[in-house]
Amino acid sequence: MASNSIKLLSGNSHPELAEKIAKQLGLRLSKIGVYQYSNKETSVTIGESIRDEDVYIIQTGTGQQEINDFLMELLILIHACKTASARRITAVIPNFPYARQDKKDKSRAPITAKLVANLLETAGCDHVITMDLHASQIQGFFHIPVDNLYAEPSVLNYIRTKTDFNNAILVSPDAGGAKRVASIADKLDLNFALIHKERQKANEVSRMVLVGDVKGKSCILVDDMADTCGTLVKACDTLFENGAKEVLAVVTHGIFSGSAKEKLYHSKISRMVCTNTLPIDLNLSICDQIDISPTLAEAIRRLHNGESVSYLFTHAQ
Amino acid sequence: MNNLMVFGGSSHPSLVNKICANLGIKPSQTKLGKFSNGETSISIGESVREKDVYVIQSGCGHVNDNFMELLILLNACKTASASRVTAVMPYFCYSRQPDIPYTAKGAPLISKPKDSYTFESSPGTPVSSVVTTQRPKSPAENAGSNLTVLENVRSPKLPVLEHPSPVKSLGNGELHKSPSQSRIPMVPERKENSSELGSLFNANNAGYKLWVAQAGTLIANLLTTAGADHVITMDLHDSQFQGFFDIPVDNLYCKPIAHNYIQYNIPEYKEAVIVSPDAGGAKRAASLADALEISFALIHKEKRSQLPKGPPDASLTSGGGATVSSKPLISNMSSLSLTSQEMKLSSSSSKYVQTTMLVGDVRNKTCIMVDDLVDTSYTITRAAKLLKDQGATKVYALITHGVFSGDALNRVAQSAIDKIIVTNTVPQEKTVKFLGKDRVHVLDVSSIFGESIRRIHNGESISMLFEHGW
Repeated sequence: MASNSIKLLSGNSHPELAEKIAKQLGLRLSKIGVYQYSNKETSVTIGESIRDEDVYIIQTGTGQQEINDFLMELLILIHACKTASARRITAVIPNFPYARQDKKDKSRAPITAKLVANLLETAGCDHVITMDLHASQIQGFFHIPVDNLYAEPSVLNYIRTKTDFNNAILVSPDAGGAKRVASIADKLDLNFALIHKERQKANEVSRMVLVGDVKGKSCILVDDMADTCGTLVKACDTLFENGAKEVLAVVTHGIFSGSAKEKLYHSKISRMVCTNTLPIDLNLSICDQIDISPTLAEAIRRLHNGESVSYLFTHAQ
Repeated sequence: MNNLMVFGGSSHPSLVNKICANLGIKPSQTKLGKFSNGETSISIGESVREKDVYVIQSGCGHVNDNFMELLILLNACKTASASRVTAVMPYFCYSRQPDIPYTAKGAPLISKPKDSYTFESSPGTPVSSVVTTQRPKSPAENAGSNLTVLENVRSPKLPVLEHPSPVKSLGNGELHKSPSQSRIPMVPERKENSSELGSLFNANNAGYKLWVAQAGTLIANLLTTAGADHVITMDLHDSQFQGFFDIPVDNLYCKPIAHNYIQYNIPEYKEAVIVSPDAGGAKRAASLADALEISFALIHKEKRSQLPKGPPDASLTSGGGATVSSKPLISNMSSLSLTSQEMKLSSSSSKYVQTTMLVGDVRNKTCIMVDDLVDTSYTITRAAKLLKDQGATKVYALITHGVFSGDALNRVAQSAIDKIIVTNTVPQEKTVKFLGKDRVHVLDVSSIFGESIRRIHNGESISMLFEHGW
């Protein structure tokens, strides 16, 4: 790969992931300075020429206090690269911020995911790489190409190699994720069950109903994200009530906000597996991580070389 | 006022209430908050269909959070079929590029809250025996002040102020998180790190001049993208900023109320001098001086590319045209003996030297400094010292937007400024509490904003507000 025509930039949200991606690609991260002044405005300094380069900016949506800061950082970075005459700017956003605010679920509710899509385009973004969008329809909010990668191949790999999956059953903790789980179950040739939840308010879960038989089996809960973990913990309890032997949880985006850590600590979940799309500082012994940087790195490589990305949808790197 | 609705963001609720009181309406109902993962959550409590909606959000506090909140509010109103959505930003964030001391290589210098400040530029503001006549300081003194700058860079432990926020600096992809208290990004704590940062700015990419990204156009475009049809703001730092927008921007002026304040509250204002603390604000200050028919002075910041090597006796004259006697030989000697040290210093810190000089006569006069924005307060505190050194009796500072970030309030408290007059485009409760009611006067701009909203809503001209205020 011609190293003089590709530049990797990293925001402050997840430097470890950026470092890993750079290593996979055999590149070094470009020198940039992203600062926050004491008046809380963000300032970006690009330390080297990016004229006519293919620029990839890695920034994920994370941080309970800083998620908007990181988003603004990304927008300013994109804009800075645009005004610095970059040939093409690709935003690599492993966890797309505001992905759950994707519909007008009540009167006058903001569709912030659409707004973020528009903001990215306005800033000058030419391409977006993301992973496991909460709703894949978000791709339609953009007028630019969006590559929605899947963590599924990596997750499959993990389940095959690191768990005793022969006596397992895959469980979707809500109806919305049924498709995702069914596809994994198909590939592993396992059964799958579904938990239907009645949600009244965001971040709050009420009643849960299990559809399927989990008696005596080890259950693998699969979801796209774990935020406050209310759903996961309740689903776990529901599974044990129905005679499950043990419960594992595998999620793509481990946000773990609020009291997630305590909930997990007190829960009966025996293993909590998530990918490193976001930085995670849970420090719980039950936590395990799947590294998805090879997938992102390969997507960047393929995109840069104009190769097909669809291979990555089915094959882990 | 049938179709008029005013929404307030969370940045400055008291201003929102005052503006609404001026309009004789109640702020419309919103629920502003955050989801547990930190994402901003808003909900609008009333129907805005076919309404004329105004969203008030100042660019203060946690700027990015407030700005995103504004964008989401605008977007929500727009998608909820409001007929027109106007963003009211009393203080427009990102309108001014940071004015911070940078070294020649672009690495920002740091400052920390101190018990006492010198308010000297580097090198110190030259003070001569002749009124209004300036000359650069001797290199010996230059070297001294450079040394203190270096000390600042190296002093590691910085006390945390009340807003600990991560300072981000990325050199080679490495993350440094440490609390910040000044608008100036900190140089990483450990020595190895500072060389790392140095490598970012030092860079072996010779020939590439570092530049800081200008967020101005981006902010304008983002507002338009979110659905703003109209923007109302006050005292934009650059009036050219209006041109970044494709939608109408009404830039209000605080000049009329400032004018009013000076006339009625500053004793013998006819004898006072309006001072612009930097050349950029000269036009603004001059127009106020014209309106009040009083004299005007200007402080000029000069950046020299190199430390003066020879005897710096080139004198600048103004007013009386008096000249400074050439420097005594002994000073030359000391400057020569220091040259080697200087050169070493300039390789690691700054090749540029900043001096400030005053154009105009302020001796035995009351000075009123006029500026649009005070953030770190470097400029005005230095200017105040210069004015006092030049014999000003009293120094007022008349500021539109008092952001006062980092240790600014501390600096102002210890500066030669006798009184600060500031508007409430940014919440000033903290300023008043810190500096005391005697040293701070807050001008209320809500009536101007209220009236402009009324006029824009009714399709009347607002140019009358520019001249007469309200």
